[in-house]
Amino acid sequence: MTDAEAVEAAVDLDAYCEALLFIAERPLSSSEIGELAGVPRLQAEAALADLRERLDEDGRGIRLQHHDDAWQLVTAPQVGSRLAAYAAREVARISPAALEALAVVAYRQPCTRGDVERVRGVDSDYVIRSLLHRRLVIELGRRDTPGRPVLFGTTFTFLERFGLTSLDDLPPLSSEAAQLAALTSVVTDAVAVVDDA
Amino acid sequence: MQPVPIVPDSPVSFPVGETPFTIALPVFEGPLQLLLHLIESRQLDVLTVPLADVADAYVAHLARHPVDVVNLSEFVATAAQLIYLKSRRMLPTEPLPALTEAIDEPDEDELRRRLVEYRTLRDASIILGERDGSAPLIRREPRESDLPEAPTEPMTPTVLAVALERLAAIPEPASRPPEVVARELTIGQQITVLRQALSRGGRIVLQTILADCRSRTEAAVTFLATLELVRRREVGASQADPFGPIVIEALPHGRAG
Repeated sequence: MTDAEAVEAAVDLDAYCEALLFIAERPLSSSEIGELAGVPRLQAEAALADLRERLDEDGRGIRLQHHDDAWQLVTAPQVGSRLAAYAAREVARISPAALEALAVVAYRQPCTRGDVERVRGVDSDYVIRSLLHRRLVIELGRRDTPGRPVLFGTTFTFLERFGLTSLDDLPPLSSEAAQLAALTSVVTDAVAVVDDA
Repeated sequence: MQPVPIVPDSPVSFPVGETPFTIALPVFEGPLQLLLHLIESRQLDVLTVPLADVADAYVAHLARHPVDVVNLSEFVATAAQLIYLKSRRMLPTEPLPALTEAIDEPDEDELRRRLVEYRTLRDASIILGERDGSAPLIRREPRESDLPEAPTEPMTPTVLAVALERLAAIPEPASRPPEVVARELTIGQQITVLRQALSRGGRIVLQTILADCRSRTEAAVTFLATLELVRRREVGASQADPFGPIVIEALPHGRAG
């Protein structure tokens, strides 16, 4: 295969992925797409990454969204609010308490109800159930610790509602690591002072 | 002017002058939220402020304002922790206990770490809240052609008629109660009902009793009552085949009657 042919084949595969995801009624995995396209999974993955980048860079009306290894086409964030008139969506407000729990799950997933309660310092059973009910979080499995607690993660519904094309798009935490490091050094300094005394 | 009781989070009208105005006080859901509020409202640095400094404010708040009852114990535990930290500071000459002895004692660093972690994720949740629905990504709606095929088996009007008949078999409530009242039905009451039914013939078919029940709850309680009688060995239950009639029989040495 010449270089030109290879480029042509790659463009063709991108177009195939785009078309396939356009008609798909559910998110598809890269291995499914590879199987349907008759190419190895890695090649399908490369095509998906390529497609994702091009849709984004060309400022198109659609984006390629992924969660773990599930891929789907969605509308672009800049047109979302104007599409609301056509695609009427339920927009019941999420309470601040539920948002807190959702943030813990989003940034710490997979995590348990206990993890959420440890961060928030309060019982979070009800808010997690409300998040499950709204399909913003989902049970992923169980942690292999005593009691085998249920592990939660976020869903496509979460990504869609908050305008994220993937979890990589989550706004960065306000320098949590730096704060905790600063805290550690303050503590260390204090200990040093005590030791000196 | 009459004093107005203030109930947090329920707006109250204050008759001040001509036009009343309403206020709503926030209810703190957890101790970290309250502690952080006390620190931030005083513009103190959460990374450096001695937590003992806000102990008084924390306890005062707890005494004056109601908090979420579900998490009351968490509030009280943190209060105890803060009071301990404060008491330690008031006795500067007391040597710090050795680390091994202090294992169960409140740890200021640990509490501060939790505060910082909570603040980070609370801030993230506020940012998420601002994003919520502002620029949603919308996926393709399933078209009708995406829906699973309709059953190929031919449907006859009889099927509908039968279904309707089954619906009609559920009797209308005798009369509408004047207001909604939770019906209290105990297992004990249903045990009495079952015993009476058994006293007439010695054996009954459970399904016929359940069919007479007027609500799902009544059926469920009756079923539990049956299980209770079986447990007490007053009755025996048998069922010849799956989904067949369940025969309840008074046991000879039982106390049925």
